[in-house]
Amino acid sequence: MLAGRSSPARSLIMTLVAVSIVLAFMLPIVWMLTSSLRPNAEIFRYLSPLSWRAIVPEAWTAENYQLLFASAFQRALLNSILVSLLTVAIGLLLNAMAAYALSVLKFRFREIVFTIVVISFLIPFEGVAIPLTFLARSWGLQNSFAGLILPGVANGLSIFLLRQFFLGIPEELREAARMDGAGWWLIFWRIYLPLSKPALVGAGLILFMFQWQAYLWPLLIVSESRMDVAPVALGKLLGQFDFEFGQMFAGAVAVSLIPALILLPLQRFFEQTIKSSGSKE
Amino acid sequence: MLFLVPAMLVLVAFRLWPAAISVAGSFRHGGDWVGLENYRFFLESDTALQSLKITLIFNLIINPLQIAIAFVIALVLVDRIAVPGLWRSLLLIPVGIPLAVSSIVWGIAFRPDDGPINAILHSLGLPGQPWLTSPDQAMLSIMILVSWVGVGYWAFFLTAGLKDIPTSLLDAARIDGANYRQALFRIVIPLMKRPLAFVLVANTISNFLLFPPIRILTSGGPEGSTNLIMHEVFLNAFTYDDQGLASAEMVILIAVMLIIVILQFRLLRER
Repeated sequence: MLAGRSSPARSLIMTLVAVSIVLAFMLPIVWMLTSSLRPNAEIFRYLSPLSWRAIVPEAWTAENYQLLFASAFQRALLNSILVSLLTVAIGLLLNAMAAYALSVLKFRFREIVFTIVVISFLIPFEGVAIPLTFLARSWGLQNSFAGLILPGVANGLSIFLLRQFFLGIPEELREAARMDGAGWWLIFWRIYLPLSKPALVGAGLILFMFQWQAYLWPLLIVSESRMDVAPVALGKLLGQFDFEFGQMFAGAVAVSLIPALILLPLQRFFEQTIKSSGSKE
Repeated sequence: MLFLVPAMLVLVAFRLWPAAISVAGSFRHGGDWVGLENYRFFLESDTALQSLKITLIFNLIINPLQIAIAFVIALVLVDRIAVPGLWRSLLLIPVGIPLAVSSIVWGIAFRPDDGPINAILHSLGLPGQPWLTSPDQAMLSIMILVSWVGVGYWAFFLTAGLKDIPTSLLDAARIDGANYRQALFRIVIPLMKRPLAFVLVANTISNFLLFPPIRILTSGGPEGSTNLIMHEVFLNAFTYDDQGLASAEMVILIAVMLIIVILQFRLLRER
């Protein structure tokens, strides 16, 4: 961009620079992947002296994955998936409804409510996690899916993003629907949601990433290992005296693969949402 | 109204109410009102002050550093290169991995005796380093790990910002004979103030509240060298069961963070 019309040589050099940066960042991931696919005894074998075998296994094996998925980790991964999916589903519905009310419906105190939303996304969740633990325990949410899911559900930022998007939908559309006798609920369901796909994907990604990354909160609210989410379960594995490195890497790959598969095809939506939220501020 | 109530209930119950409790709790000790006692204790406690100091130094180094690296990477990614989208996507992978999991993997990579990082150093003829096991290098190790996660993510936002700069402006500068460096400092950086401010502020917030790698890898050690304040709060709340002090520390953490965020916004305000 800055370079303007540049020579092929320069273009080649810059591509090489980009490739080396990316390779440096990918190295830990490649190492994690190959270590998960080789027998335990070989993980540290080719490091000293360092040989190319360190990232290309001699003997490939899926044993680490088989053992890991036969253990408690299987349940933890399923917990993570369930918690994240439910958070996205419930969260999108609740946040879209609130965003709809804040952008379309006219009511008293609207500005005050909107201020509350903005304040709530300025308070980082980590900042309230500890007092919230005692509250949530008193509400009987300890060791429950509700306890894991609810803090991730209402997200000020995703309400804000959806509201910005809804404000851009022409008023005439809903006026016409009103004329035809459609209620607010029908307009929300049939007009606003279908027109807001990119914003919904962006908000959904925010909700998903929050839950998939969650570590502190699941650590605080869950005390029974059957309710552990995958990152906590892996953390516990590391704390054990005699753990298997291969299984650790297999777990890391499993936990990393899922967001990568979701994030990569959806990143252009994410970018759109970031841009649209910025320009209409 | 029905549209609004469910989300608001959750926001109030899970964000605002506990925030209010936290502030109120910072004036209490064991259920009794103690006024500013917890804050006084904080200012007189070496551990707590040390933790605040470490947090500030950590942030003063890591935030500008990460953003500078991310900006350079973003400049490379918007240059004329082959398949830019692919590189950009690959750099986004680390941030998708839960930080707790990246911490575990890097923890193994940093092992002084048989880890791959020292193996690479050895193969270059350099001596192995103690990394997480040394009070001098533990924080550096945490910084490397956190940067590996964050830099690609911030570069992703910055490339989006760079692409928004009108090419006509740059073409005009080039016709006037500006070279790469002049165009960068006179046009691109001034126009990037807003995306840079956004990325710097978001990065500062996440680094001030950093917790998983400390908990998983160092527990604040060795010798308290990585005891970031978020971990100190966690220790006081759950290990030492001192909710009052933990709340006061949280209030101080958020206050310091807000002051720095406001300063950053001032600094990068468009004139």
